Amino acid sequence: MKGNEMKENTAKENITREGNAAQDYVLEITGLDYYIDDVQILKNINLKIMHGEFVGIIGPNGAGKTTLLKCINGINTPGGLVKIKNRDIGKLNEKQVAREVALMSQNTAITFPFPSIDVVLTGRYPYLGFARGESMEDYNVARKYMRYTDTLQFENREITKVSGGERQRILFAKLLTQETDLVLLDEPASNLDIAHVEQIFTYCRELCCAGKTVIAAMHDLKTASKYCPRLILLKDGEIIADGATGEVLTSENLSKAYGVNALVYRNRITGLLDVYIPGFEMRKEKKRIHIIGGGGSASGVIRQLFEMGFDISIGVLTHGDSDSACAEVFGIKRVIDKPFSGISDEAFEENVKYIKESELTILCNMPFGILNLRNLDAAAHASNLAIIEDDSPETRDFTGGEALEIYNELKRKAVVTTFARLHEVIQ
Amino acid sequence: MKEKGKVVLVMLVLLFLATVVSTGFGAVSVPFLDTVKIILKNWGLLNISDFKEGWESIIFYVRFPRVVTTILVGAALGTSGAVMQGVFRNPMADPGVLGVSSGASLGAVLAICLGLPAKGVIFMPLFAAAGALTASFLVFILAARKGKIPVMNMILSGMAISMFFGSVTTGILSFISSDQVRQFLFWTMGSLNGRVWQDVKISFIPILLCIFILFLFSRDLNIMLLGEEEAQSVGLSPSKTRRRILVFSSILTATAVSISGTISFVGLMVPHIIRLLIGPDNRVLIPASTLGGAIFLLLCDLLGRTIVSPAEINVGIITSFLGAPYFLFLLNKTRKEGAVL
Repeated sequence: MKGNEMKENTAKENITREGNAAQDYVLEITGLDYYIDDVQILKNINLKIMHGEFVGIIGPNGAGKTTLLKCINGINTPGGLVKIKNRDIGKLNEKQVAREVALMSQNTAITFPFPSIDVVLTGRYPYLGFARGESMEDYNVARKYMRYTDTLQFENREITKVSGGERQRILFAKLLTQETDLVLLDEPASNLDIAHVEQIFTYCRELCCAGKTVIAAMHDLKTASKYCPRLILLKDGEIIADGATGEVLTSENLSKAYGVNALVYRNRITGLLDVYIPGFEMRKEKKRIHIIGGGGSASGVIRQLFEMGFDISIGVLTHGDSDSACAEVFGIKRVIDKPFSGISDEAFEENVKYIKESELTILCNMPFGILNLRNLDAAAHASNLAIIEDDSPETRDFTGGEALEIYNELKRKAVVTTFARLHEVIQ
Repeated sequence: MKEKGKVVLVMLVLLFLATVVSTGFGAVSVPFLDTVKIILKNWGLLNISDFKEGWESIIFYVRFPRVVTTILVGAALGTSGAVMQGVFRNPMADPGVLGVSSGASLGAVLAICLGLPAKGVIFMPLFAAAGALTASFLVFILAARKGKIPVMNMILSGMAISMFFGSVTTGILSFISSDQVRQFLFWTMGSLNGRVWQDVKISFIPILLCIFILFLFSRDLNIMLLGEEEAQSVGLSPSKTRRRILVFSSILTATAVSISGTISFVGLMVPHIIRLLIGPDNRVLIPASTLGGAIFLLLCDLLGRTIVSPAEINVGIITSFLGAPYFLFLLNKTRKEGAVL
C-alpha cells in the first residue's frame, strides 16, 4: 500500500527524491513569512511533506507552531507560497481549502449546548451548497467516524455535557468527517490523560497508514518521538531542524531550541528516545565525588549528583552496562573496561586514582560477583566512604561470601544510607 | 430536529390565533368567525356580505392593516435580534448595536423639522429608514479593519455612532417648536396606531425578503457559534458571513423602525426566551424568534389599545414596561443557579 511505504520514508529520502514529480508532495511550503503587525512570527519556512507522513512540529512556546498550522489551512494569510497537492491555497476559496485540509485547534471552547452529532456534522460544511441541509449521506459519514472514535453513543448528548476525553474524540470525529487528505492537529493531547493521549495518536497513526498525512504541533517530546517518524523543530519562527526523529531529537538541537541543558537518550526498557532536562545547581567549590556502581545501581546517583553540580567520576564499569550509558549521556569521567572479563590492572589503577582524588566515594547498591570484586578492593582506598544499602548485602553477594566479608569490613568505617536519603550524607 | 420543527408549527398556530383575536377584539368587538370571514371576503376568497354595518370597514381598513403591520414589525425585530445574538455570540446583543435606532430617530426628527409629515405619510418612514441605514453604514465603515469586522470594533463603533446621532437629535429638538417635539416623542415611543395598507405595502417586501435571506444563514450562524477558527477550519469565512448578515439585518431593522418608531426589548427578549426554551440551534431559533416576535408584539399592541380603552398606550411603552421585570427575572435566575444567560 502506498501509504505504508511512504510512511517509512525519512526526510533524508525525501530530499533525494526531490527531483520526482511534484504530486508526490501533499504539502509544499516555499519562502513563507508571516507577520502580526510589525512582528515577524515565521521566517522563511520551506517545507515539503509527502502523502502518508506523520510529522510532528516541536519547539518552545511561542516558536510559531500554531501560527504555522494556521498558515497551512488558510486561517492566516502568509507571504510566500503554500501549495496543497500542487495547488496554491491562496487561489482557492474557503470551502475548497476546507476540502483539502482540516485543523483541530487547541482547547476549542464550545460553550453552546449543541448535540454532538451536530458538531460532527459541521465537518460536512465544505461539501454543502449555500443554505443546503445535510443529506442522509452526510449523516452516514458523520456516524461512521463517531463509531470509529467510539463516540456514537453520545450522538444526541450535548457537547457541553461530555468529559474532556470524550469531547476531544468527538472533535476528532468532526475532523475526520471533513475527509481531507491533510490533517493538522494543534496540541491534540493537551488536557488529556495518558490513555487518551495514546488513543489520539494511535488514530493518527492509522490515518497515515490509510494514506492520509498528519501534521501535529506537539509539546511532549517523548510522545513526538514515539509516534512521529519525522520531526520539525521550530525556534523563533524558524525551522532549525527537519528530518528523521533521531536526527532532530539530539541534545544539541534541543539545547539550542529550548535554551536548557537537555539530555537525549534511548530508554533501555522501551527502546524509545527520551529526553531529560536536569535541574542545575551552581556551586562555588566543586566537590569531587567518585561513584562505584554497575548494573544500573548508579544511574540515579549520577543524575542526583550531576544536578547538585558536583564534579563526579565513576568506575569501573563495563561496556554495555546501563550505568556506563548513563555516565556517557551525562558526560562524566568514567573508567570503562571490557565486559565479562574481570577488571584489568590498568582499570583498577585508574579507579583507585579517581578514588584518591575524591573527597567522597559512594558505593552503590550493586550486585557483587567474581568479575567486579576488585571494585570493593578499590573502595578501601577511599578517604570518606558512603554506602548505599537499599537491599540487604546478603542478597547481592554472588561470590559465596568473599564479597560480603570485604563489604562488612568497609561498612565499619563508612556512612551507611539509602538512596532516598543520599542527599543528607552529601550535604 | 423533528421535535423542534413542531415548535415552529405550534407557533404558527399561535400566531394565527393571536391575529384573529387581535383583529376581532377592541372598542367594537367582532366575533372571531366573522372576523375571518370579513378578511377572506375582502381577499376575494369568500362571497358573502351579510355583516353588521361598519364591521367590514373597522376590521379590514382599520384593524387588520394595523395587525399586519404589527406582525411584520414584530417578525422583523424578533428575527434580527436572534441573528444579532448569533453573530455577536452574545445573548444580550440586539439590533440597537447597529446604531439603527439612533439613525432612525435622527431621520425622523429631520423630517418633522422640515414639516414633511404633513405633506405625506411616506416621508417619516422614508427619512427614518434613510437615517437608520446611514447610521449602520457608518458603523460598518468605522468597524472595518482590512476587510474584516471584529466584534469588539463593531460594538464600540455602534456606541460611538449612537451617541453622536443621539446628540445631534437632541440638539435639533432644542431648536424646534414644542408641537414638533411632541410629534417626535410620540414617534420614538413606538406606535402602531393608525397604520394603513400603505404602510404594509411599503414594508412587506423588504421585511419578508430579508427574513427569508437571514433564514438561509442559520446553519452558518450555528457554525460561527462554535468559534471563529472552527468556522474557518470547515471553510466558512466568519467576516464575510458576518458582513452579509449584518447588512440584511440592518435593512430589516431599519424598515421595521421606519414604520413603527423605536420599539425596544422585542429584539432582545423574544430570542432570549426562545433560546432558553428550545436551545441555541439557529435553524429553529431564528424562525421561532420571527414568529415569537410577531406574536409578542401583537399581544402587546392588543394590551396597549384595550386596557385604557378608548385611549391607547403606545406599544413601545408596553414592551419596555415588560422588559424591566424580565431582566429582574434573569438576574434572579443567575443569582440562584449561577447559570449563564
